[in-house]
Amino acid sequence: MNIARFQTEFDKMMNRDYFSEKVHPMRQEAFIKFLKVGIPTKKWEDWRHTNLSSISKESFRLSDGQDAPKSDIDISQYNINDLETVVIYNGHYLEALSSIPAGVQLLSGLEYLEKKDSGFNSPEHSPFDLLNTAFMDSGMSIVVDQNVIVEKPIRMLFISSGLESLMVTPRVHIDLGESSSLTFIEQHVGESTSFFQNESVFITLGQNAQLNHIRIQSNSVTTANIVNIQVEQNADSQYTFFQFADGSQLGRLNIRAELKGEGANCAINGLALSNNSQHLDNHIITDHQVPNCTSSQNFKTVLQDHSSGVFNGRTIVRKDAQKTDSTQSNKNLLLSKSALMNSNPQLEIYADDVKCAHGSTTGALDTDALFYLRSRGLNILSAKALLVRGFATELLDKIKHDGIRDFITERFDIWLTENSTK
Amino acid sequence: MLEIKNLHASIDGKEILKGINLSLNSGEMHAIMGRNGSGKSTLSNIITGREGYIISQGDILFKGNSILDWSPEKRALTGIFMSFQYPVVIPGVNNTYFLKAALNAKRKNAGEKPLDAAGFLKLIKEKLKEVDMDPKYLQRAVNEGFSGGEKKRNEILQMLTLEPSLAILDETDSGLDIDALKIVAEGVNKYRNSERSFLVITHYQRLLKYIEPDFVHVLIDGEIVKSGGKELALELEEKGYSWLES
Repeated sequence: MNIARFQTEFDKMMNRDYFSEKVHPMRQEAFIKFLKVGIPTKKWEDWRHTNLSSISKESFRLSDGQDAPKSDIDISQYNINDLETVVIYNGHYLEALSSIPAGVQLLSGLEYLEKKDSGFNSPEHSPFDLLNTAFMDSGMSIVVDQNVIVEKPIRMLFISSGLESLMVTPRVHIDLGESSSLTFIEQHVGESTSFFQNESVFITLGQNAQLNHIRIQSNSVTTANIVNIQVEQNADSQYTFFQFADGSQLGRLNIRAELKGEGANCAINGLALSNNSQHLDNHIITDHQVPNCTSSQNFKTVLQDHSSGVFNGRTIVRKDAQKTDSTQSNKNLLLSKSALMNSNPQLEIYADDVKCAHGSTTGALDTDALFYLRSRGLNILSAKALLVRGFATELLDKIKHDGIRDFITERFDIWLTENSTK
Repeated sequence: MLEIKNLHASIDGKEILKGINLSLNSGEMHAIMGRNGSGKSTLSNIITGREGYIISQGDILFKGNSILDWSPEKRALTGIFMSFQYPVVIPGVNNTYFLKAALNAKRKNAGEKPLDAAGFLKLIKEKLKEVDMDPKYLQRAVNEGFSGGEKKRNEILQMLTLEPSLAILDETDSGLDIDALKIVAEGVNKYRNSERSFLVITHYQRLLKYIEPDFVHVLIDGEIVKSGGKELALELEEKGYSWLES
């Protein structure tokens, strides 16, 4: 998508009368900054291994009224037990299909910003942060008051559909008050043929608040799915993240978790499965700004065919962040000789009394283990599948919600069946 | 049961086995003794179908069929089992799940119905008693966090569960203390009958005190240089191997 095309779409965005003018200056500022930097190229350190040509070559247009569902849509195929769902279809919030659990306040992303009345700084870590602020047009925001424990998980179901090349820019804010807790699930699905979603999620966790955030990226393998997650953690808060990704032609997860209050903990986990020419990218930053916080990053990727992946994990321990305890682990399984993985775990430590561990392995299936299983009578396909499943088990076990773990495990097994016969 | 005819095998261009001839009948237990590097493990690997070896001459017949072209799983399903010298740790794969999958693969091959969870549990509990193994090991990943002795018991547990007609015990005594050795030997002895054959691969005579072979073969530099009865093992214990070297 060239700059002229971005400009055309941006002008359309500014003329939309149903969006508040209060956010116009924010959009304008972000767009001007975006025009200066443009879409990242491979010369940018953080984007060296990420091929963005599917975005830069395609011409996307904003989703509008014609892209809303023309008739009732059936979401039963996406059923997961024991949760409430908010449905967003090509960027359109479908209120009639949506429900929320008790204790949750649901606002549109724009309503949320208005409520904050520009008392909000958008980060500008990458051009996609800027693009999100300039083009934000969908997504919902969640507020949970202090001491409210939300029992039922809330899911945002993002459905992308149709033959047109659409650009959808969800903006999600999640504010958890002191000592509250929530399980938030994002599920990205749909059979859209060409779609560029650039989502930003802003999470603020009050003191002692707990968020369990699960992201399922299973949208069609011809689409681009970029997400920028920014987490601010106050004292003793807990953030747990798990992403399961088997969809998208280009998937890129950017997370920046800032540990700003003592005793905060974050655990950021991901399991990615890629085949054909998919590229799934994980860029994780955990930033320890104060003492006595703990963090972990644990990512695994299984790659088939000529697919590729990136793990770029950074743990920053600032000068004052003594007694930090952090781990980083990245393990990758290459099922094909043409698959490519770039793994780059990094530690940046400015304090002297800390415990930090990191490790990374990438390789093919263990031939000794394969022989062992076959020597017990398992055929080669079952043996391979069992080993891949074993590889992923550690991460699947980290999903805290039974219904979601079962759902993801089932998807994993389907992928395995389709991909281990190659 | 098993017939090895003039077997020559090499790996990475180096000839390891230089014309092995061996014949095991039903109900017999044969021991192959030799030093490290004599070719003992290569022989058991080739019988079980491990890849990477080049067989330049000879054949292996199992129940009358040449098995050299068979996959490891086909050999296993036909009744060949090896207790590994170094059982493999498989993170994330539950031991019960694995055992049940292996047993049901075998049952399916034999045209039998697969066992359900309850049926399997009943069966495996009996087998656990025979090797004096704590049921907690069933809940762990395959061989993960097992001591050397526990790994070997787990191998014998698999043998008792899968009921092979030919069991190869590759250095099963290594890593076992004397109590564990007795338990493993007892498991093997109980399993012996006129339908089943054993090939015991060992460096030392120690194991053969507890499971008595019918025949002992000495392997030196890829060749069987001497065969005899169980008394040959004692002779080796006393004299070592050097008197047999040319």
